[in-house]
Amino acid sequence: MCMAVPSRVIAIDGQMAVVEAFGQTRRTSLMMLDEEVAVGDYLILGAGGNFAAEKVPAETALAAIAYLAQVLEDGLA
Amino acid sequence: MFSESGISIGLRIRDGAVAAVLIRSTRMVRAARLFAKRPHAEVLHLLPAVFSLCGTAQAMTGLAAMEKAAAITASPAQKAARALLVQAETVTEHGLTIARDWPTLAGGQPRLDHAKRIRGALAGLRSVLYPQGDWLSPGGGALTADCDRICAAIDQARQSITQLMGHDIGELVLPIAFQAWLERDPGHLPGLVRAKGWAGLGAAPFLPMPEMGPPDLAARMATDRDGQYLARPDCAGRVFETGALAHWAWHPLIRDLMDRHGTGLLPRLAARLVALAEGLHEMEELARDLRTEPACSLPGLSGEGLALTEAARGLLAHRVVLNDGKISQYQILAPTEWNFHPEGPLVRTLHGLPADPDLEWQARLLVNALDPCVACTITLE
Repeated sequence: MCMAVPSRVIAIDGQMAVVEAFGQTRRTSLMMLDEEVAVGDYLILGAGGNFAAEKVPAETALAAIAYLAQVLEDGLA
Repeated sequence: MFSESGISIGLRIRDGAVAAVLIRSTRMVRAARLFAKRPHAEVLHLLPAVFSLCGTAQAMTGLAAMEKAAAITASPAQKAARALLVQAETVTEHGLTIARDWPTLAGGQPRLDHAKRIRGALAGLRSVLYPQGDWLSPGGGALTADCDRICAAIDQARQSITQLMGHDIGELVLPIAFQAWLERDPGHLPGLVRAKGWAGLGAAPFLPMPEMGPPDLAARMATDRDGQYLARPDCAGRVFETGALAHWAWHPLIRDLMDRHGTGLLPRLAARLVALAEGLHEMEELARDLRTEPACSLPGLSGEGLALTEAARGLLAHRVVLNDGKISQYQILAPTEWNFHPEGPLVRTLHGLPADPDLEWQARLLVNALDPCVACTITLE
C-alpha cells in the first residue's frame, strides 16, 4: 500500500532538504510545506519522494518507524 | 533497508502495438496484519501516520470498521464531520494532481504555488472540527461546529482551484462550459489531449466498481488467509475499476464524454475535475449537518467489522476483528490493487495501443489518469 516512511531531516539548503530513513538518504523539495522545517524534524514524502508532503510530530514518526521496522523484520515489505 | 513500494509497468511490443502489459507491484498489501495484538487506539493513530496520501481516509475507514465491530453508531454530526474530512483529502489530492502533475505531463512546469494554496486551504480542518485532537475516538470525539471557519476554508479552496483552472470549477463541469474551455485554452492537459486527438486514447471495456463494493467482498476478505485476495482482488473473475471515472460515470459531463470517447483519456481527466467540483459541493452540504457535541466514552470493543470509504483514488476497504479493544485481525484492500491488477483496468487500457513514438508519454498519461498512490515506472520491452 501507499505506506509512508517518515524521514528525518539531516540538512537543509534553501528549499531543498536531505532526509534519511532506514539508512537511505535523499533530497526532497520543501516547497509544498507551509510549516518551518529544521534539522531533526520528521517529514512524510509524497509518492516518488520529490516533494515533502507533511511535517509530522516526532512521537508519531517514531511510532510509525517502529511499526515499519517490524514490517521489514517480518518480511512483509 | 526499507525500499519505497512501487509499481513497474512493462509494455511488450509486438507487430507495432502493445501486445502485453506486465505489472509488478512491491506494495505492502499484507503489512496491516502486524496491527494484530495492538490496542485499537494505537492502530487508529498509526493509520494516518503510515499512509502518505490517504491517511484521513485510511483512519476513517479503520474507525468505521471498529465501530461496526463493536455495534456502535456514530451520530449524524460525527458522520458529517468525518465525511467532510475525507472529502477535504479527496479535493486536496485531485487539486494537487491537477496543479502539480498535469502541467508536467503536458510538458510544462508544475504550478506549485497553486498546489500549495489548495493544500493549505483545507489542511487545518481537522483541528477546527476536533480541537482536542480526538478525531479518532470510536463513537466520536469532541466535535466543534465552527461553520464560519469551515465554510471560509472551503471557499478559499474553491477560489484557489478557480485561479488554477481559470474558470469556476462548479461551472466548468457543465458539458457546454467544459467544451468551450477545452477549445479556448489548449495549453492545459485536457486541452492538449483534445488537440492531439487523444480524447479516446485507451478506451476499453468498462467494469465500474459497484457503489457498495463487490458483493462478495466481506466473504473474500474473511477467508483470505494468505493475502492473495488483498494483492489481486477480483469478483467472479472480474477486476473492477474504481476511482473518479467509475464513481462519476453517471454525471452529465462524464456521460456526454463517454458517449463520444468511451473510457478514453479525456473522460478520465474530466472525471477528476468532476470529483473536485462535487467534492467541494459536498463539503458545503456536510458543513450544514455539523453540530457541536461532546466526546463519547466507550468500554472495550469486541466483534468483527468491515467498512468502505470512497477515497481519493477509489474504494477503500478495512476489515477488523477486535477482542476487548485489541486487534486480532486487520486487513486493508486499497483501490490501487483493483486498478493496477495484472488483469485489471490499466492493462485493458494500455493493451493494443499503437507503438508510435508517443507511446511512453501516452502510457504515462493513462497511468496518471488512473492515479496510483505510489511511484510508478514504465518500460518498453
